[in-house]
Amino acid sequence: MLLRIWNLVLKEFIQFLRDWLMTAFILTLPVLQLVLLAQTTSSRISDLRVAVLDLDHSNRSRRLVTALDNRRELRVHHYPATLADTHRLVEQGKATLAVIVPAGFAADLADVSRTPNIQLIADASNNIPASVALSAARGAIAVFARETRFFPENLASTIDLRTTVRFNPTFNFRFFFIPAQVGFIVYQVALTVSSIGLARERELGTLEQLMVVPLRRIELVIGKAIPALVIGALNFLFMLAVAVFAFHVPLRGSLLLLFTLTLLFIVTEIGYGIFISGIARTQQQAILFVFALAMVDMTFSGYLVRVKYLPAALQAIAQVVPFHHYLTIVRGVMLKGAGLDVLWPHAAAMLLMGLLVTVAAVHNLSRSLD
Amino acid sequence: MSIRRLLAVARKEFRHIVRDVRTLFLVTVAPAFLLATLSYVFAMDVDRVDIAVRDLDHTPLSRRFVASLTADGDFIVVSYVQQGEEVESLFTRDVADLVLVIPHGFADAALGGGPADVQCIVDGADAITASQTVGLMESRVDAFVASLRPPRPGGAGNGFDVSDRAWYNEPLKSLVSMVPGMMAIILCMPALALALALTREKETGSFENLIATPVRGTEYLVGKLLAYEISGLVSVVLAWFVATLWFRVPFRGSFPAFLLLAADYMVASTGISLMVANFARNQQTAMFLILTVFFVPSFFIAGLITPIADEPIARAVAYALPTTHFITICRSVFLKGLGPVALWRPASILLGIGFAARAASLVLFKKKLV
Repeated sequence: MLLRIWNLVLKEFIQFLRDWLMTAFILTLPVLQLVLLAQTTSSRISDLRVAVLDLDHSNRSRRLVTALDNRRELRVHHYPATLADTHRLVEQGKATLAVIVPAGFAADLADVSRTPNIQLIADASNNIPASVALSAARGAIAVFARETRFFPENLASTIDLRTTVRFNPTFNFRFFFIPAQVGFIVYQVALTVSSIGLARERELGTLEQLMVVPLRRIELVIGKAIPALVIGALNFLFMLAVAVFAFHVPLRGSLLLLFTLTLLFIVTEIGYGIFISGIARTQQQAILFVFALAMVDMTFSGYLVRVKYLPAALQAIAQVVPFHHYLTIVRGVMLKGAGLDVLWPHAAAMLLMGLLVTVAAVHNLSRSLD
Repeated sequence: MSIRRLLAVARKEFRHIVRDVRTLFLVTVAPAFLLATLSYVFAMDVDRVDIAVRDLDHTPLSRRFVASLTADGDFIVVSYVQQGEEVESLFTRDVADLVLVIPHGFADAALGGGPADVQCIVDGADAITASQTVGLMESRVDAFVASLRPPRPGGAGNGFDVSDRAWYNEPLKSLVSMVPGMMAIILCMPALALALALTREKETGSFENLIATPVRGTEYLVGKLLAYEISGLVSVVLAWFVATLWFRVPFRGSFPAFLLLAADYMVASTGISLMVANFARNQQTAMFLILTVFFVPSFFIAGLITPIADEPIARAVAYALPTTHFITICRSVFLKGLGPVALWRPASILLGIGFAARAASLVLFKKKLV
């Protein structure tokens, strides 16, 4: 039996190497993609463009503008002349935030009985930079107010909130999404390679040839799974090296644990892949199925938004999505140094789903072959 | 070029799409379906923070402090930390997002002059929500401190009147800005299907049959494009229904203008598929190229979440991706109500990408036919 599987694996690898362009892509593109993403994604939101309409033209109003510009998040980029111009800059998306300082601002500031007035307009068509810009501007104005006016409210607070941020003190966005991206690529490669394998044989008509070879179904499945496992594992190791050495994402937990659980995850996803290739009649269908499944799995995985922020019904579904458990494991081991004592429920859930889907896939395959 | 032959190819291609329910589903319905699920991936509203409290003070004031932080339900106390319990494991087990330690003598210090040092330990693994969490906590503590002071007649807050407006999305809700942005990403599915259809003919050898017919290269390509662009527009309409009826995203622009701009986007994205299909020898490679080069990078580079980075390389990559421009277009038409005239820049860039990609592939394609 081992010899028969080995022969099939050999055939698969020969086919892979024959199509060298494909092999090169599968081995290098994921790493390149990771590098490209990490390079081009800013690790934090900074230097959002601000338009300032200063109708006061006083020393004080200029100091306020400097205070805004000094915030890391903001950069004063436009000085429109009229209100209409200011609105247009926001409408065209050229300024994330517009600050309007009305005439008489300095006079209001000097008179304790009056309240100086400032208007902020954010382009909230993308809500994330808009809320960052608004809270940065409010923060800058609060500091400016404390420095220029003496009200009891502006005295030092009686509660000093000392914030410590664990695992990622600088709020580096990359630490959150690079581990997720590594996980996603492992997922994508394992699923694609395994789902296309059988669909391709069927489309090209070589599946019938395989059928007359003395090869049992389970042997066929294992033989098809091994190349996907090897390619997925290689990809994982490459990308982990890039994440840790090039982008300094910490690996606080055990590498051995992470690698073992990654192999378990790849095997689970191969089960899904083989299941899909049992349903799909052509490679095009297999690919589009994989694509749709990948998007659904991404929704439930906590890839960008953690599962607890999903609507309750979706949270329940997330528990049967192996990718969700795997991402929890990757982030837990890498960022938090979590061990198997904490992660075992996720590993067990992955194993269970893997077993179920593999049994279903082998069963389904036997039907579609007959 | 003969219109009759062109239409014959388009008709053949339509038949390919419609003949198989699965392909039809994947080209027309799947994008709308994906929009419904995938939008949740990017809905990053922090509306629930699980906190663990360690109250060493045990005074009415410390209890009032915790009650005022959790009054509106954004912060939920999930556990009270016991003596000697480790804070670290609350984070690795994902029990709490934030641990608050109220020191001995908190009440005395807060009501007296001296600052009470409240410790706030945040799980920074999820950088975006963690930074929002810290901001939320700081503003709650400020509000509590203000409530301890006797109210000052006239004037509020820090003695400044800051009016802030979030245009186009007043409640600053993630879904409102993410759903139109996601439309750009999921609408590349028809283009993916086109790339697969083109490579399939190479792979199964039916392309050689086509060469033997009087159909010319241009007619073949234009005919194929026509079929996929029209089915792509069907998916645009369905996705539009999901956005406006399911997610209730306001649509302030004009619908015909939106369809026109969407057709423009199809021109660009199918152009890219043509290029990919030229290079890829089989469907697996084609899909791999599209997914890793155009699809996933769009999430992070194209300005969906964070604004386009300021570095020159990142800018160049972002502007070369059709998604970048269509994200701008979708958000502007949906939320700002802009029309094609105001959006001439992204619209003409898309047209340019489409025609450049077509010209390049036609040159390459002719060589292969001879």
